[in-house]
Amino acid sequence: MTKLSVVRASAGVIDGSAASADLDLSAEVCVIGSGAGGAVVASVLAAAGVSVILVEEGGYFSTADFDMHEAHTVPKLYQESMQRATADLAISVLQGRAVGGTTVVNWTTSFRTPEDVVAHWATKHAVGGFHHADLVPHYEAIEARLSVHQVDESAMNRNNKKLYEGCKSKGFAVAPTRRNVYQCMQTGYCGTGCPINAKRSMLVTLVPDAIDAGARLLFRCRVDRLESSAGEITSAQCTLLDASGYGVTGKRATIKARRFILSGGAINSPAVLLRSGLNDNGLVGTRTFLHPTIGVTGLYDEPIEAFYGAPQTAASHAFAHRGDDVGFFMEAAPGYPVLSATAMPGFGASHRRLMETSSRRTVHIALAIDGFHDDVPGGTVKVRPSGAPLLEYPIPPRLWEAFRTAQRRLAEINFASGAKEVTTLHDPPVTATSDKDLDRLDAAPWEPCRVGVFTAHQMGGCRMGDDPKSAIVRSEDLRHHVLKNLHVIDGSVFPTSLGVNPQESIYGLARLMATRLAGR
Amino acid sequence: MNRRSFLQRGLFGGAVLLLGGGGLSLYPTRRVASPTRPLRVLDDRGFQVIAAVAARVISSPDADPGVLAERIDESLSRLPAESQHDLAGLVGLFENALPGLLLDGRVTPFTRLDAAAQDRALESWRDSRLVVRRSGYHALRRLCFVAYYGDESAWPGIHYKGPPDVKGFSHDDSKAGTPGWIAAQDQAGAP
Repeated sequence: MTKLSVVRASAGVIDGSAASADLDLSAEVCVIGSGAGGAVVASVLAAAGVSVILVEEGGYFSTADFDMHEAHTVPKLYQESMQRATADLAISVLQGRAVGGTTVVNWTTSFRTPEDVVAHWATKHAVGGFHHADLVPHYEAIEARLSVHQVDESAMNRNNKKLYEGCKSKGFAVAPTRRNVYQCMQTGYCGTGCPINAKRSMLVTLVPDAIDAGARLLFRCRVDRLESSAGEITSAQCTLLDASGYGVTGKRATIKARRFILSGGAINSPAVLLRSGLNDNGLVGTRTFLHPTIGVTGLYDEPIEAFYGAPQTAASHAFAHRGDDVGFFMEAAPGYPVLSATAMPGFGASHRRLMETSSRRTVHIALAIDGFHDDVPGGTVKVRPSGAPLLEYPIPPRLWEAFRTAQRRLAEINFASGAKEVTTLHDPPVTATSDKDLDRLDAAPWEPCRVGVFTAHQMGGCRMGDDPKSAIVRSEDLRHHVLKNLHVIDGSVFPTSLGVNPQESIYGLARLMATRLAGR
Repeated sequence: MNRRSFLQRGLFGGAVLLLGGGGLSLYPTRRVASPTRPLRVLDDRGFQVIAAVAARVISSPDADPGVLAERIDESLSRLPAESQHDLAGLVGLFENALPGLLLDGRVTPFTRLDAAAQDRALESWRDSRLVVRRSGYHALRRLCFVAYYGDESAWPGIHYKGPPDVKGFSHDDSKAGTPGWIAAQDQAGAP
């Protein structure tokens, strides 16, 4: 049994911000990104005796940093300090940036990839390299390691209970979620780093496993470019970041390896390829999916305190399949002060009134399932002159329609649960005070920057598929179609969104692919 | 730049907010607050505009616009270079009288307006037909809320009692959750 503090202090852990000279490192395999994809790959390969270096742009944090205070934790743990957004600022992007990636800040909801989604990929996107059945043993192994289990209904906080009971009384299918936690004391602060290591994120599971098995970890190291020659990647050229994570030290790192695994996640993985000029078929960054998310807040007479208790313990997929219309699923979100304040509409006195009652408010969200309809093709990742990624995501009419319908369903659920009023995230806000008032919500304007839209699930941008003309990596081993020693193993390879929270889909696929690579 | 490309490129998409350049104002920016330390991203004029915006967006007697503007300056340092540049352009555009005249018929800089007129200026951005102005409103609003509600002094006002005490509860064991570890815990009589 290895203590985390021992792992952290081991010789294989290199803090890039502390390097006094340029670094020249080499390994058999270089894994770029230590989140849900990279940590799995690094741990499987290291256990198989492969020499691995795991590179991470973010910092290596611990419970000492996770003080449940947004002002302290958000700048450390989120991309662009949670100010990442689409180019027009219409969609706010919640994405992690740390050793362990987004798994450090996600809300622990664990779903396997729906079987029909994997089948859809095979039919529509030439994903012939695996079937659902191939993934199952890998889900099982991950679930055991991460202690994934279904929550008890009695453990739901009031925010989730209102969603759960409201769905039940409306006859909408709803179920308790499965979570990757062990001995969770339900602080509710999954989103700012679990303060007690109850969340079995990559930070406290497979990253330490990889290091235990001999992998080296280099953090505060941003991969700028992959250098290539004769159809192969030869090195990763990196900038070392300072201890804040927002400045550079002036030192660089060069990493040589026989094989490179890109696991930076959607947005960052395509950005690395674009910065490297590796975009032969012009598709890198396209079909980026977000599960674009809207929300409502219901006001109740009794306390809700959506900031306390496990954030996401109920989920409804009652409207996930709507035929020609875009499906959506419904969940709860935590009500931390800054997250709430930035989501609540308005400014000045009207915003203040919403915030003063925030402890009696639910925060319920609907996540649209993008990528399954021809006219909902997702967004595009580009790079700015500085090299930072730029995400464009025009919201098509059919997605607005899904939002409108979803907002109405969320309002109905809240009224069924006893809400006195339901307010949308339109600005200016739109409020309904009873079920009879719902047409008011339908009439609200659906345009960019007139309503809060969010994403916590970034997918696609380096899609897999067996036709080199329409995909970036092939599906049997997620190897790049052109570059023979480059694999992309993370959420960016999904050819559509998933219709469920993505972490376990990434774990399962990454473990299958890493196991195949380790067997070579 | 024609308006079409201006709209298509968006605010943080690299749009150069040409109208926001200095030297076009009929009146100088009013001093709202004084920074207590060297600024990291904003220039002094930008600091004044941000402080004036924060005063209206937060609109609470306990909020010190200068303190909020300093926190916002700090948070801007965590954005990519292009976003910092766009934000500076946005602040200039927001303050400046010439675009105010073109877009709203306003000739007075934002910092020189009274509170009610400042609120109307914010609303005119919020309700604009132009996506880039609506995004500008949201960018400013968001920065203010992060700066204000991130501080515990704002929490009693929203009945938030802060995070729970978890001292002594940390599972400092990287193998927690594995079957072997769970068996060991059971043997040790752990709850």
